[in-house]
Amino acid sequence: MTKPVLHIIRDQHCWLHAEKIIWWEEARSIIVSDLHFGKTGHFRKSGIAVPQSVYKEDMQQLAAMIAHYQPIKIIAVGDLFHSHANKELDWFLRWRQDFAHVAFCLVKGNHDILSPDWYAKAAIDVISDYYTEGPFGFIHDTADIPEEQCSNYYWFSGHIHPGVRMEGSAKQSLRLACFYFQQQYAILPAFSRFTGLKLIRPKKADTVYGIIPADQRFQSPPSILRLQ
Amino acid sequence: MTEPGFTIINQWLAGKGFQAFPFQEAAWRSIVDGESGLVNAPTGCGKTYSVFLGSLIQFINEHPLDYAKRKNNGLQLLWVTPLRALAKDIGRAMEEVINELGMQWRVGIRNGDTDTSERAKQKRNMPEVLIITPESLHLLLAQKGHPAQLETLHIIAVDEWHELIGSKRGVQVELAISRIVHLTKQPVSLWGISATIGNLDEAAACLLAPIEKAPVIIRAQMDKQIAVESIIPEEIEKYPWAGHLGIKLAERIIPIIEQSNTTLIFINTRGMSETWYQTILTVAPHLAGAIALHHGSIERELREWIEESLHTQKLKAVVCTASLDLGVDFRPVDTVIQVGSPKGVARFLQRAGRSGHRPGDISKIYFLPTHSLELVEAAALKNAIHAGTIESKTPLLLCFDVLIQYLCTLATGEGFRPDEIFAEVKKTYCFSEIREDEFRETLLHITQGGDALQQYDEYRKVEVDEGLYQIKSRRIAMRHRMHIGTIVSDAMLKVKLLSGKYLGVIEEYFISRLEPGEVFTLAGRNLELIGIKDMTAMVKPSKSKKSIVPSWMGGRMSLTANLGEKLRETLNEVIQSNSPQIELAALTPLFDLQKELSHIPQSNELLIEQISLKDEHHLFVYPFEGRLVHEAMAAILAYRIGKIMPITFSIAMNDYGFELLSDQPIPVDDSNVQELFSTENLTADIQRSVNASEMAKRKFRDIAVIGGLIFQGFPGEQKKARHLQSSASLLFKVFSEYEPNNLLLKQAYQEVFDQQMEEVRLREAMMRIQQSKIVLQYPTQLTPFCFPIKVDDLNRNHHSSEKLEDRVKRMQQQLESNTR
Repeated sequence: MTKPVLHIIRDQHCWLHAEKIIWWEEARSIIVSDLHFGKTGHFRKSGIAVPQSVYKEDMQQLAAMIAHYQPIKIIAVGDLFHSHANKELDWFLRWRQDFAHVAFCLVKGNHDILSPDWYAKAAIDVISDYYTEGPFGFIHDTADIPEEQCSNYYWFSGHIHPGVRMEGSAKQSLRLACFYFQQQYAILPAFSRFTGLKLIRPKKADTVYGIIPADQRFQSPPSILRLQ
Repeated sequence: MTEPGFTIINQWLAGKGFQAFPFQEAAWRSIVDGESGLVNAPTGCGKTYSVFLGSLIQFINEHPLDYAKRKNNGLQLLWVTPLRALAKDIGRAMEEVINELGMQWRVGIRNGDTDTSERAKQKRNMPEVLIITPESLHLLLAQKGHPAQLETLHIIAVDEWHELIGSKRGVQVELAISRIVHLTKQPVSLWGISATIGNLDEAAACLLAPIEKAPVIIRAQMDKQIAVESIIPEEIEKYPWAGHLGIKLAERIIPIIEQSNTTLIFINTRGMSETWYQTILTVAPHLAGAIALHHGSIERELREWIEESLHTQKLKAVVCTASLDLGVDFRPVDTVIQVGSPKGVARFLQRAGRSGHRPGDISKIYFLPTHSLELVEAAALKNAIHAGTIESKTPLLLCFDVLIQYLCTLATGEGFRPDEIFAEVKKTYCFSEIREDEFRETLLHITQGGDALQQYDEYRKVEVDEGLYQIKSRRIAMRHRMHIGTIVSDAMLKVKLLSGKYLGVIEEYFISRLEPGEVFTLAGRNLELIGIKDMTAMVKPSKSKKSIVPSWMGGRMSLTANLGEKLRETLNEVIQSNSPQIELAALTPLFDLQKELSHIPQSNELLIEQISLKDEHHLFVYPFEGRLVHEAMAAILAYRIGKIMPITFSIAMNDYGFELLSDQPIPVDDSNVQELFSTENLTADIQRSVNASEMAKRKFRDIAVIGGLIFQGFPGEQKKARHLQSSASLLFKVFSEYEPNNLLLKQAYQEVFDQQMEEVRLREAMMRIQQSKIVLQYPTQLTPFCFPIKVDDLNRNHHSSEKLEDRVKRMQQQLESNTR
């Protein structure tokens, strides 16, 4: 596990990880977004041979974070699953049993189209609009935050898979996945490795944490760095 | 030649006042004798007749008494053509002959435009001649029952083989032929028809490989006179800026257009062709209605109308791209203008040949430079034409993406048995070196989706049933059929007016950067973007004077090695000759400045310029080897310098040289520059620098589409398939990390090796440089040579030997110091 950075918001301690999760200390919860579980299986079932190990490593990564923090709850802010049920999701069910004591709360995203029975079987509490706890609100897409509720909570969301472009002199540039904190809400990076990036344009008052991927040439692990 | 076929055909020709050319008669003889081979003839001199009439003669000889009455003979002649626009004209010409001979043969056309009822009719009852594109040929193989349709076949003709060979479409043709020659009752003759290329023998061997026959090569001896004239700007800009000069010269072409019957104006990119069309109308409004714009993104009906109008001499000039490189001749065309570098001698000659086809006519071509340095290229082109050096088209080898697609095609149709298909595939030129284990890996890829024994896996594509490999899922089969082909276009959006009128297509890459309300140019019209919905850009006409011209990423070809060499030699003239060619003489002011600030390299020298401006450090290198080789060489140099110290480069190149740009001083001087071009450890350094570069990633996009990993969008399917979409760069990342041995990923690297970092050619170039004198200059300001590289910013590559984290931190510091 890599060294997290602390971001305090509304007096809550949020530990941001290069593994693309947030550990919310006061609530003993892991916040995560856009896991897209079952995506490799969905592709493979249609004859597109993407490697399944991407999915396997994603599950292992989440398991490692759970093992480390021993959370009472995981809050997924949408797109936990990529598409229809497939065998890879049976694998998830088995994985889920290993953490049966951890509550799993899913705020539905546009990709979460499985049947209520399936979620029940997986012991996942599904919330279709938004979830609130303490000073925080949780929703998949910030565009859907109800106006009257907007200022009552600080919101956590996902959906866009945010990335940031850094530019240096001599035409240098880099794209990094990021945690994006604005005044009223935060957008989490996509947890799944099988996702792309959508570049954001942060404003001056925003806070951005970039995730620097592992650099194998130097055997350096991924790390997280506050960019602004 | 007393057989009845010859007599009848010669009588028919005589009746029309024609006489067969000797090369046509030679081709007929060989066809009747059952030979196979290649006819080398330019367009517009009866090459179609050389093979088509041979096929008729053969038939008449076999049925001398009732050849005119025989109906429903089944398919006799398969005519493969790379351009569907050609099919109609060729078909019409063939039908004319058949009718005049009173025969009952039918001519069918099969391509993407053929409607389903026509296809069904062909399925029940094949015409004697089928004109088909390589893609439709594979679609035919994806149909059940195709063996019965092909069993009567006598001749396969591959038209414009010089266009197909060296591309993946050529590989497609090779594979289809390897199958079809085993489906006929009688041995098939194979005939390629090709314009002149440097390796005609290899081209013939490549085509004929599946039938293992020695090729007969028939050359039409038709020497074409070509007159080349450069349009020389009155004032030479000393800092050439790609694309800027050309437009200023637009006025100069108006008199050329006016004095000519019909003029074709070839522009290298679609974006520039839009600009040119607009500019000509601005400087010569009286030409409105008499000029047209023709390129691949323009709606088909409009394109067909333009072609028709060219035939009937209704147009004074057409601004076009490679879209009019091929095809039947437009008789009225007597003048061609080439705007910008044609990148190769062969292409230049081909374009020149689009004018003045009648025997004895002179092909007239004007060269209009888009920046002043291109005048050197004009001089080099003239030298090359004079010396008669024409490029070769090297056939591609071991294209696994095309093989994967082909095997899935067979699996969609009748299904296949691996042993039989392996033997056939191995006989093709492309796959002659394929090993059994590689074929097995390909089979595993399509049956198990790569690494086997995955848990919870439901991979489904090709299924094996008692040794027969088949695609059984109707959905997967349908999707495969819709994606047969090897031409990978960028993701395209349709452009429509609010009324629903369709205007053409545009790259998603371009349009996604526009905001609604912005104005862009397509098909010569200014259009305001209203919004994007369901893969369609809705627009309305705009009167705005300002508009953004789309940049089509494609169409940036590289200078050929051949022309590069001529270019280096031509530069010698600048210094050595007392009476240099007119183009070079015109460039005197530019050369004077280059000499003053730096140096003009001779063909036995390599010029390197190091220029430092503020916190930017540039290293410009001028090997004159073409963009592709420069990209590879730049990557190797960046890698080697990166070993001296951790440093990050941004890399740009054009056909003359490349630039390494860094925010730190670049540690290159007289003491180590020789070593940077050393051929020692070259193989290992190529390997390492390829891995670090972005070249393979760019190759991977085409491969992923051809190999069936990415679906190019098509109407109606988007919504259903949206959970199956991913970008090539994402797939590249995923495979690199999780399945580095993946067949298609390996191919991306292999293509970089073979096509760009071709060790032999790179080694030759490096050896040439080693034996040259390296001239290192430290100009205090930008030079005429480096300017076009510096301002041409598309496709920058990056190479870094720094730790990622350090780079991010330094950029952060730079940002902070900038804002302070």
